[in-house]
Amino acid sequence: MSSDVRFTDFKSDKQPTWCPGCGDFGTMNGMMKALAETGNDPDNTFVCAGIGCSGKIGTYMHSYALHGVHGRALPVGTGVKLANPDLEVMVAGGDGDGYSIGAGHFIHAVRRNVDMTYVVMDNRIYGLTKGQASPTSREDFETSTTPEGPKQPPVNPLALALAAGGTFIAQSFSSDAQRHTEIVKRAVEHDGFGFVNVYSPCVTFNDVDTYDYFRDSIVDLDDEDHDPSDRDAAKKKILDADKEYQGVIYEDENSVPYSDLHGLDSNMSEIPDGAPEDAMDLVREFY
Amino acid sequence: MAEDLNWAIGGEAGDGIDSTGKIFAQALSRAGRHVFTSKDFASRIRGGYTAYKIRTSTDRVRSVVDRLDILVALTQRTIDENVDELHDGSVVIYDGERSWDAEIPEGVVGVDVPLKSLAEDAGGAIMRNVVALGAACEIASFSIENLDEALAKRFSSKGEKLVENNKQAARLGQEYVQEHYAEDLPEYSLAETDEDYVLLNGDEAIGMGAIAAGCRFYSGYPITPATDVMEYLTGRIDRYGGHVVQAEDELSAINMALGAARSGARAMTATSGPGIDLMTETFGLVATSETPLVICDVMRSGPSTGMPTKQEQGDLNMALYGGHGEVPRFVLAPTTISECFHKTIEAFNLAEKYQVPVYLVSDLAMAVTERTFRPEEFDMDEVEVERGNVVDEDDIDQYLDEQDRFQPHYDAADGISPRAFPGTEGGAHMSTGLEHNELGRRTEDTDERIKQVDKRNRKVETAQREEEWDYREYGDADADALVISWGSNEGAMVEALDYLDDEGIDVRFISVPYIFPRPDLTEAVEAAEQVIVVECNEQGQFADLLEHDTLTRLKRVNKYNGVRFKADELADDIKAKLEAEVTA
Repeated sequence: MSSDVRFTDFKSDKQPTWCPGCGDFGTMNGMMKALAETGNDPDNTFVCAGIGCSGKIGTYMHSYALHGVHGRALPVGTGVKLANPDLEVMVAGGDGDGYSIGAGHFIHAVRRNVDMTYVVMDNRIYGLTKGQASPTSREDFETSTTPEGPKQPPVNPLALALAAGGTFIAQSFSSDAQRHTEIVKRAVEHDGFGFVNVYSPCVTFNDVDTYDYFRDSIVDLDDEDHDPSDRDAAKKKILDADKEYQGVIYEDENSVPYSDLHGLDSNMSEIPDGAPEDAMDLVREFY
Repeated sequence: MAEDLNWAIGGEAGDGIDSTGKIFAQALSRAGRHVFTSKDFASRIRGGYTAYKIRTSTDRVRSVVDRLDILVALTQRTIDENVDELHDGSVVIYDGERSWDAEIPEGVVGVDVPLKSLAEDAGGAIMRNVVALGAACEIASFSIENLDEALAKRFSSKGEKLVENNKQAARLGQEYVQEHYAEDLPEYSLAETDEDYVLLNGDEAIGMGAIAAGCRFYSGYPITPATDVMEYLTGRIDRYGGHVVQAEDELSAINMALGAARSGARAMTATSGPGIDLMTETFGLVATSETPLVICDVMRSGPSTGMPTKQEQGDLNMALYGGHGEVPRFVLAPTTISECFHKTIEAFNLAEKYQVPVYLVSDLAMAVTERTFRPEEFDMDEVEVERGNVVDEDDIDQYLDEQDRFQPHYDAADGISPRAFPGTEGGAHMSTGLEHNELGRRTEDTDERIKQVDKRNRKVETAQREEEWDYREYGDADADALVISWGSNEGAMVEALDYLDDEGIDVRFISVPYIFPRPDLTEAVEAAEQVIVVECNEQGQFADLLEHDTLTRLKRVNKYNGVRFKADELADDIKAKLEAEVTA
């Protein structure tokens, strides 16, 4: 780990194919800055992603990375981190990837509390398949597959995380670069599963949840004297459907990550050339 | 053939059938006798018929047979279910004080032992099965001291008192038979030897092989009959710095294992057919990202939920062809319990050497069967770990492109690219399920596509050239009749050879543990006048493969009623097939 790592060291030479103006540019920049500013470098960082616009992130960042199947990036990140605790693991997802096909994994990753960071680029629409409703789309949001709106309430990812026992729950806005970076950085520094839902507007297909909308409606928790260690206060904010908050909503300062609970500290890639020295004991158990 | 004894206990699920059977099996093994166990159970926690059968001999036993000498019947159904296997001189131990009047078939000796009352005398009704074990020892002329050791092994963690009570219960059973049935019993005797055997099942052998091979990460989701692999590893793998995660589902399980493998760990997941279906989504990613991973499928009867507690070898086509698109994978299928150990180790070496997913295909008959082995068959000094082309800071240079970028899918002549574990300086790279170039980046370029598909397939050619894809052979090498099988049928078939030999029928038998790549059997098939392929499925999936390889029509013996082949029955089936040819 070197101290002179700059965030641009995490940039690959590949130009993103995201639409011009896409919120994901800002989301990714904040992730790279957060990684650099927390003392990581590309060779000790592993980035996982699933499918969709968010899934492309491993191509645009420079690090060890896996672009996997839809919705399953969290289990991959879990395996990477448990097998080598020295790695910094960051998982990227989208609202479809994370809260629809991957919703089951999300709940369990939260409760497992493995020390990694999960950043969800939430644009409240399916972008890469050209504009269908997503789990976070508004109830009356008209799309090609929901001409009269989904007529079901959107998923509240922060509430899911809190209910599942989340130890770090935050939300940010991709165009507020400084705050977004700061929040992701805190998620990286958190001992346990750091979850950040990022408002990352889709300029092509979502004309409701736009930059202007978020700019006008976002309330920064730092301006409200919110105490992130207060779970009840966090619950109130999270269940307040009328407001869009940014900031660290909840952080359990006593969080004990999975690896600590299970006494995992070895790099599992290091194994002997043959069977372990006392391996005959395994056979003797069957006498 | 040495003196065989077939013993069984049967009753309702939840009656402690399994643990009682296991105690007796261990007692026999400790006395230097070979043991082969089989279980008959229903897919429910309580209720439903369940039985644990033991075949024991001073010779090695490899199969079950249609014969029962001593049966401990806790219910009438136990007798009814096994009536065909009872013979003149079989003994049925039952408890006449219970509310059913046992109907003992003619010729069979009924031994009525008040199991419950005697157990209560020893300290608790729960020990009634142990009273029956004591009675069985007396009937089989087997020293009850052997039982003491097995009881101590089972109960010592729960206190010395409990061990003593159990020993007492066994003696009460023994004495009761001595007092009441001394005159009426057939002559059985179980000789002891000085051999020290170990007793284990196929799932345990897979778990033990995994640890020996350096597997340190296991993620799985409980499913019959693969769960024993996970239960074995839990509590053992962590002694070596490893970890078992019970994932939320099979999708997660294989993705976690994939992540661990990309961290550089030897990783494995095990499941059964329905779980493989779910894992198939990620299988393609594992293969196309060239991640070494061992995926174990302990087959049960399908399709869909099928018969979860019954035997079948129906997943072979899925292991070979499952998933969309075309991508190489290796498929290994151990044929014996000890081979479950050895093939697991081989699976890890092949996975890492060739950077492919390896399906390790076992089946229920092996998973739930315990068998005795000489401990040397699990020789840990013989274990070799081959990690393949792993690069570090010092030798990474040769795989960097002109812009100093690492090429994880470098188009090597033998198809085998370098691997850089995360943390390796200069090795940062991306892997993806998208078609990619040598850098691992997405491409739809036609030439790059062909280059990568060919590169992946070239690994198979390299492996076919460099590894031994051999088989085991039994019987008469020059016989006109050739039988071929795969998976757990080997044991029954080897014993069937003896039955056939008794009838003057010479058979050459080839048992194949490699499905893909696999040995070329063309010459053996061409040399035989009649070829029969034996497998536990309806369609003859392996026979189809061999027909394709050898361009020869093959006969088939297929069993798909959920029960494994029995040696004597299999001999009859083979004989009938051979005769059908002669008369036709």
